[in-house]
Amino acid sequence: MGNLYHNKTAQWLVYAAFFAGLAVIPMTVDDSFLLNQLATYGVYGMLALSISLCWGFGGILNLGQGIAFGLGAYGMAMTMQMQTQDESNPIPPFMLNNSLDHLPMLWQPFQNTYIGMILAVAAPTLFCAVFGGIMFRARVSGPFFAIMTLAMLSAFYTIIIDRQPYTGGVNGLTPPSSLQFAGFEVDPYSPTAYWVVFSFLLGATVLAKLITQSSFGLVTQAIRDDSERVRFLGYSVAGYETVIYTVSGLIAAVAGCCWVMLVQYVSPAQLDVGFSLSMVIWAAIGGRYSLLGSIIGAFIIQGAQSYLGDAFLATWLLILGGFFIVVVRFLPNGLASLVESGLGLFATKRGPASAEPNGDAKPIPAE
Amino acid sequence: MPGLLEIHNLSKSFDTTKVINDFSMEVTEGTLCCLVGPNGAGKTTTMDLITGRIKPTSGKIVFANEDITAKHEHIIARSGIGRKFQVPAVLRDMTVRQNLEVAYSRQTNPFWNLFKFRVAGLKQKLDEIATLAGLTGRLNDRAGILSHGETQWLEIGMVLMQEPRLLLMDEPIAGMTEGEIEKTVRIFRDLRKTATLVVVEHDMGFVREIADEVVVMHMGSLLAQGTIQQIEGNARVREVYLGEQEAA
Repeated sequence: MGNLYHNKTAQWLVYAAFFAGLAVIPMTVDDSFLLNQLATYGVYGMLALSISLCWGFGGILNLGQGIAFGLGAYGMAMTMQMQTQDESNPIPPFMLNNSLDHLPMLWQPFQNTYIGMILAVAAPTLFCAVFGGIMFRARVSGPFFAIMTLAMLSAFYTIIIDRQPYTGGVNGLTPPSSLQFAGFEVDPYSPTAYWVVFSFLLGATVLAKLITQSSFGLVTQAIRDDSERVRFLGYSVAGYETVIYTVSGLIAAVAGCCWVMLVQYVSPAQLDVGFSLSMVIWAAIGGRYSLLGSIIGAFIIQGAQSYLGDAFLATWLLILGGFFIVVVRFLPNGLASLVESGLGLFATKRGPASAEPNGDAKPIPAE
Repeated sequence: MPGLLEIHNLSKSFDTTKVINDFSMEVTEGTLCCLVGPNGAGKTTTMDLITGRIKPTSGKIVFANEDITAKHEHIIARSGIGRKFQVPAVLRDMTVRQNLEVAYSRQTNPFWNLFKFRVAGLKQKLDEIATLAGLTGRLNDRAGILSHGETQWLEIGMVLMQEPRLLLMDEPIAGMTEGEIEKTVRIFRDLRKTATLVVVEHDMGFVREIADEVVVMHMGSLLAQGTIQQIEGNARVREVYLGEQEAA
């Protein structure tokens, strides 16, 4: 009955097939550089997923997802940096260059790998909970919230550049060796690193999917539709918005950690406004109402950028911009809506009242 | 016996305009009270004040012996007050079924709801309300494509899903056909057995059919309160409200 696109079992099967496809990759790809690159796409996929959850399902446009991503990445880079320092040489070289003669308080917890990694995820998540809590309680929403996230992102960007002795400034941090975890070394070019990212992407996707199918997900979709009405049903709109924004931040923070594990590098560029905007573009092109669509959107855009970007150089941005305009104009709900309307054609119609919405009509929440 | 809902000396000013002026009323549990009055009398503003959408300048609102003045909307809703808006407010992008599911708000904690996939008692309640509201055949349709009358029914259904002790209905029959109005009358009479209702309505015919008590507002103040016979016999009411309506 109905459109297969909205069938929960079918959705889970498609997700399973997608991840099975991703799981085959390390068995067929021998080139370790390519494998590393594909793993970074997994990180972008996580970011697109987090945007889809927050924007697509929660209706909260977040232009500052780079905050959670960047803070997570910095936390991980600090942890990895401290792994290469020992008692005879406890201070990272860049601090010495900035004439710091002791390890700052901020860095001390990162001497322990486990505490460091927990902080790398917990600190951005806590930031989202507090910042989101304040904003949503004050009923800041829509474009106003988007602007606040943008401003906050720029603030973090500036602070990181400005506090060079503590953050490495514009140069960022480049931990000299790969992550050591529980006695193992995670070589960023090994299949192990790929599997780590794969597992987190899988875990985050399952988590996000379950959230959207829970009672919580139903309420957030209602809030997206008409937040004013939902208040009078007894739900604390601010509470729901804060939770979904925080979960989305948590996923982005994990993505930040994975990113540094893969590239052994972090700089203020990860908190650049342009990067946070591209996360939104991935979700918009892939289809923000579809978690999987957003992930695929990130794969397509970043994949195209890696291969076509080199060929077209500066023209690439124009092509990307043009593509974005075409999608927003003709497919406001992204590429996933093509699948939705395609399957809609096959759906058995149960009478004139249940006719498929045409392309311009706003569809019901996709998942 | 104190009323389920008591409003004491309520006032609300927007800048220098007094919209509600020292208004008091009391609604007894298990009755249906109609709130009538000419346009601009402050009926919808009173509803906004009761449900916490706007905060009063002064005065006190007591619901079930609890002071709910100026509390947040969702706190007031949780204490057992359901509201249907004047302009029907349904979740237009969601299906009729989803609208009713969301309205079944027994568990409102976001963390608990993260782990809830099946809600106990929902299906039975949903079937019951959908049948009552005549929306059984429309459950999988998007609420945005419903006709005006059906939208009214859906919102009434949503309020019923909340299982409130007090239902505030702002112009529930606007845009309904004769048949639909008759059905509404039947349902409201039924509801009165288990709940308390406050209905804002212009249609005096409808008010005559359902009201146990009528409260007439004029210029933000109480003009008269009593049974429909008393109200229709009240010279002052005839002058400011009923008279002009019959003339129209």
